[in-house]
Amino acid sequence: MGWEEMQVRGYPEFVRTAQSYHGRPIFALFCGDKDAEGRSWCPDCVTAEPVVRKELHNLPDKSVFIYCLVGDRAYWKDPNNEFRRNLKLTAVPTLLKYGTPQKLVEEECFKAELVRMLFTED
Amino acid sequence: GKNEYDLLVIGGGSGGLACAKEAAQFGRKVAVLDSVEPSPQGTTWGIGGTCVNVGCIPKKLMHQAALLGSALKDAQHYGWNISQPVHHTWSVMAQGVQNYVKSLNWGHRVQLQDKKVKYFNIKGRFSDPHTVRGLTKAGKETVVTADNIVIATGGRPKYPTHIAGALEYGITSDDLFWLKESPGKTLPSFILYVALECAGFLTGIGLDTTVMMRSIPLRGFDQASHISKKKQIYFTTQQQMASLVTEHMESYGTKFLKRCSPTKVEKLKSKRLQVTWKNDDLNTEETDSFDTVMWAVGRVPDTKTLNLETVGVKTNCETGKIIVDASEATSVPHIYAVGDITEGRPELTPVAIAAGKLLAQRLFGQSSELMDYKNVPTTVFTPLEYGCVGLSEEAAVQCHGSDNIEVYHAYYKPLEFTVAERDATQCYVKMVCLRERQQRILGLHFIGPNAGEVIQGFALGIKCGATYPQLMKTVGIHPTCAEEVTKLRITKRSGLDATVTGC
Repeated sequence: MGWEEMQVRGYPEFVRTAQSYHGRPIFALFCGDKDAEGRSWCPDCVTAEPVVRKELHNLPDKSVFIYCLVGDRAYWKDPNNEFRRNLKLTAVPTLLKYGTPQKLVEEECFKAELVRMLFTED
Repeated sequence: GKNEYDLLVIGGGSGGLACAKEAAQFGRKVAVLDSVEPSPQGTTWGIGGTCVNVGCIPKKLMHQAALLGSALKDAQHYGWNISQPVHHTWSVMAQGVQNYVKSLNWGHRVQLQDKKVKYFNIKGRFSDPHTVRGLTKAGKETVVTADNIVIATGGRPKYPTHIAGALEYGITSDDLFWLKESPGKTLPSFILYVALECAGFLTGIGLDTTVMMRSIPLRGFDQASHISKKKQIYFTTQQQMASLVTEHMESYGTKFLKRCSPTKVEKLKSKRLQVTWKNDDLNTEETDSFDTVMWAVGRVPDTKTLNLETVGVKTNCETGKIIVDASEATSVPHIYAVGDITEGRPELTPVAIAAGKLLAQRLFGQSSELMDYKNVPTTVFTPLEYGCVGLSEEAAVQCHGSDNIEVYHAYYKPLEFTVAERDATQCYVKMVCLRERQQRILGLHFIGPNAGEVIQGFALGIKCGATYPQLMKTVGIHPTCAEEVTKLRITKRSGLDATVTGC
């Protein structure tokens, strides 16, 4: 069956989407919003995205990859935003396996072997 | 041909990972094998070894859970409106602890990957002094060759297999921390610090807990007599340092069955366990039923499947542990061992980590520094903690003779206990010094809250050869429990009342 990708924006949409795929392995990449030219305000997210995308073919069968734009810079900087509060995210980009403590943060997302390990390890 | 790796570490626990990561810092090609044999009850876990998964980490977190329970009880006295009794939900605690442990497993995986250490999830066995083979979970045989091999496979809890039902119905610390449901009415047996710590936090979270012990508590820790507060007569009352800890536990609700030995464990129709034991004092047979029986009767080295005989690595025939010299070398060149697997070393995480790092530095970093196993501080995390560094009183007496040592001691009361109306009877500190010349401090023993935090700093003092006069000149921090160490003046020899009065 392979894997599929969902693109969402904002916390409520993320949660709805994740819940709708309950029971399947869910991986999520959180990035800062993109402007009209498609560039994110978060430079590290710009670097990480292609690295992560290149490893997507390693996702286990039936996985869901949720690409989530968290919001603009001001929203993200707010220490009480829902991603920080509820998902305990500390930075963008964050790549995580939903429902587990397995995640990669910032420069860790630049490393293809780490991304691959996250996608393929138990 | 050439070996594939500069270093192969067998065992991904405290010692193994520290050694592997340090070696990788020197740019060496390193591989780590880690594999967890499921417990008889089927419990298994990820990389990180005993400390991370079934030892220090979950233990301290559950100890903290129990301490918080006590704090909630104290809180009323300090003005907080908390309805009593307060209830504890095992599964909430367990999930928090287990999630944290899993994040540590993941953290280790990321670190290994980051430092370019190759990780194999296989159970290795030697086929020659430079070759280890094993099967992956998928059944594929993997062969790893290395110039140097470090064995760091640690130990596992022992089962008293001579007791009927022990294996089928009992659990060990391997299982306790991974239980999804409360263990209920528990019997940790017998006495080792593991049993006391577990019984301590189980009681602290409100579970009906009984400890069965064949003989004395905390064998190997300080047992020396001290002057009873009640009798105040020199050397006529034998109350032991270790028994202070159990006394405290008893006063807080842990039941103790002393001088009793279990003979069998059976499963009842109700799914509860019926334990039968011999009471050595009354010479009777007794029985009771429990939800959980936990064995804490010792740990055994994990060497059986390594095939050590094939390569000639010598082990101690009694303990099964690997014999090493001061440089952690085994009887076979280029094969080393660190951590709990080695004979005659304290079974402690920081010891394994330090030994592992130093070994890597000697192998690849042109260092010649050996591990110093003396004066290693440690703490037993029972409800009232016991921390110590240096010699016990008995060891000092044995080494120097009782005429050549001075033992200072005091019973004190933590300030926080006063308003909370908590009994501080067992809060005690004892220091062992040489009598002659500089009066060097040989050992320090502390029973009280945060014992580990208190003892850590003094470990440095002992390492630097601190003396009693220097301690007397060290000003205490007030109000703390640690300051009681700086105020030690009463000697056992004097026979005077060692109770500290207010400031």
